[in-house]
Amino acid sequence: MPTVISIDPVTRLEGHLKIEVTVDHVQGRQTVVDAHATGTLFRGLETILVNRTPLDAPDITQRICGVCPVSHGMASVQTLDNAAKRTVTDNARILRNLVLGANFVQSHILHFYHLALMDFVEGPGMAPWQPSWNVDKRLSAAATQTLVNHYVAALEMRRKAHEMGAVFGGRLPHPPAFVPGGFTTTPRPDRIATFQEYVADLIPFIQGTYLPDVEAVGRHYTDYYTIGRGRGHLLAYGVFDLNATGTSKLLQRGRVVNASTTVQSVDFNAITEQVTHSWYAQSTDNLKPSVGSTVPQYPKNGAYSWLKAPRYSGGAYEVGPLARMWVNGDYRRGVSTMDRHLARAHETLKVAYALQQWVDQIDPAGEVHQRYAIPSSASAFGATEAPRGALAHWVRIVSKKIANYQVVTPTCWNASPRDKTGARGPIEEALIGTPVLDITQPIEVLRVIHSFDPCLSCAVHVMRPAEGAKIFHLGHYSGEAAFRTTAA
Amino acid sequence: MNISRRDFLRFCTASSAALALSPLDIFRLEQALANPSGPAVLWLQGAACTGCSVSLMNRIAPTAPTTAADLLVNTIDLVYHPNLMSAAGDTAVAAARQIYNEGGYVLAVEGGIPTAYGGNTCWAWRENGRDVTFAEAAGSLASRAAAVLSVGTCASWGGIAAAPPNPTGVKGVAAALGKPTVNIAGCPPHPDWVVGTIAKLLTGTLGTLDSYGRPTAYFRSSVHDRCPRRDRGEAETYGVDGQCLKELGCRGPETRADCPTLRWNNGANWCVDANTVCIGCTNPTFGVSRLRKEEGD
Repeated sequence: MPTVISIDPVTRLEGHLKIEVTVDHVQGRQTVVDAHATGTLFRGLETILVNRTPLDAPDITQRICGVCPVSHGMASVQTLDNAAKRTVTDNARILRNLVLGANFVQSHILHFYHLALMDFVEGPGMAPWQPSWNVDKRLSAAATQTLVNHYVAALEMRRKAHEMGAVFGGRLPHPPAFVPGGFTTTPRPDRIATFQEYVADLIPFIQGTYLPDVEAVGRHYTDYYTIGRGRGHLLAYGVFDLNATGTSKLLQRGRVVNASTTVQSVDFNAITEQVTHSWYAQSTDNLKPSVGSTVPQYPKNGAYSWLKAPRYSGGAYEVGPLARMWVNGDYRRGVSTMDRHLARAHETLKVAYALQQWVDQIDPAGEVHQRYAIPSSASAFGATEAPRGALAHWVRIVSKKIANYQVVTPTCWNASPRDKTGARGPIEEALIGTPVLDITQPIEVLRVIHSFDPCLSCAVHVMRPAEGAKIFHLGHYSGEAAFRTTAA
Repeated sequence: MNISRRDFLRFCTASSAALALSPLDIFRLEQALANPSGPAVLWLQGAACTGCSVSLMNRIAPTAPTTAADLLVNTIDLVYHPNLMSAAGDTAVAAARQIYNEGGYVLAVEGGIPTAYGGNTCWAWRENGRDVTFAEAAGSLASRAAAVLSVGTCASWGGIAAAPPNPTGVKGVAAALGKPTVNIAGCPPHPDWVVGTIAKLLTGTLGTLDSYGRPTAYFRSSVHDRCPRRDRGEAETYGVDGQCLKELGCRGPETRADCPTLRWNNGANWCVDANTVCIGCTNPTFGVSRLRKEEGD
């Protein structure tokens, strides 16, 4: 007899997520046979951008997410640079990378220790670590003690990573130094030295503590190298430009089907958003983000989410550190819950080493900024990566104002609902086949979800009215004036 | 609670070297054992971005609570926090409800309260088989709280999500619930403002609030008044050290906060020292009008 389990709130992630899984006996084992992911927060920041000066976009889009604001800042300034058809100085490119990289390091450390670890070990016997679902915790008391100690140490290390980013970013979260035309903070020698001290402090922790800890957890949970696989379709926009035009990146752009070793190119024209299972008019189905349109329709037969379903040539793709590292050829062990954690840890080290090199490439006397003039009219996009996956912004500027601004976030890809073929989104698909020992404490489901590091606050357009609620109309944001589904 | 904290102390003492814990840190942990039960804090997130919580984790100060770990272990009993708590689903909601039934806790709210569409643009959780809006959950928990803290500009007055056209009808907690709150402004707030306010609350001396409900200790003077670049030559473009940013639209004169002297991220930097404008993030009207101005405009 199938049982539907509802988990709301799903905690230890960013934002609001509800998960419903159907559990049934498969070959004598309680197993997830179906899953639905629903984001439960909508703020409409894209709508707020309409009619504002484009210069406000970096600050406002950073407020989409307090964990990955730097990625929104980066996407936004690249979008505005592209709109004005210009590049920035090498110093500006490097300084942007340093702040973004510092935030990758803090976000990844935060994710493993403070968001994911308590799925595998039992925390201290006090709030906020108790109550807990004390199920299937396999590490010894001594190993648990070590990891809990590292949880505390990691609080300090992620703080230091933030301080490192703030040296040039101005402050974190929500660094003010990201502006179109370049960067604002000058690379004074004392700042360069401080940054170097921080990265020299962080690398031994990543290498000697974080990476071994992930491997240690993996040794006790070897089954999680197969649980949570999903389809293995991986998409990366690429990040950390190594030249002015971004044709060379630390983590390359690319796409992989069914975990193959063949990396294919990314054509942004192949990206559409489907609405068959989302509460939007079917007439808006399968539009490209650059011309996206959102006409809410509730109720709607077969719909269960306010997230649209982004698809690449019709296919659902997983995004995140594993996708990036796979595309780059840096990690190809497998696609699973534990592989996501391990790829993330390896990426943290790769980025930290790169930070150490880049900070030495700065010219302390070189320019960081060149005056930016808002184009009177333009359409452009900028694609980068957040710690949790591929991120792109699209803008249309008319009379030096924002006419339309669109954000498609990583969690929009990962937490998307089914598409018109009925194919599930990546998190939904990854949950299928997950064993559940105790349906009142489905910790196995949390493990799979957390491996994606979902960030639902970025869910720009996620909402589900109460049962029986009236149909609502968002008439004054008609047409393409910015009302679209996006999640984060 | 007592025994659990003792366990945690044992963890930390056993590997104080690896944790870089000084004898003073261990002493503080021992002190916490002498007075083990910090007040319960329920931390809710509404129309938020989690930036306030992330900023809180950046706490580092010479005075207790010195770090986020010190805050979590020794200072408060953080029963409900969506990012940090181990429990999920019904177990998490039950933990909040148990403290609710006891009453007298501190309610910290991060993010504003959406009021459009019956509040359904933000759900707090599922309870008794029903999706509960954030407005309903916050209202319920505020009713038995000893104090309500609005952490950040969104919880205080709505913030960026309430900027025109305020698509989800977001309001600050006080306006939505009709109940006074202590407004720890900032997008995000500096961790010292949050920790300092909580610490003061625990001593029973909240201190004075300004007419916007902000603790005057942090929001007494304008950013411009204390700005080291006051009365310097005016910058016409970004990326120039040492000059006043008024021509670029700096909101320092109209914004109250002690950023120029406090600085951010353990003193690493702050907005103006990064050659960029104050965008007025501690203002009740933050986000209503433009944040930036075109260079040379």
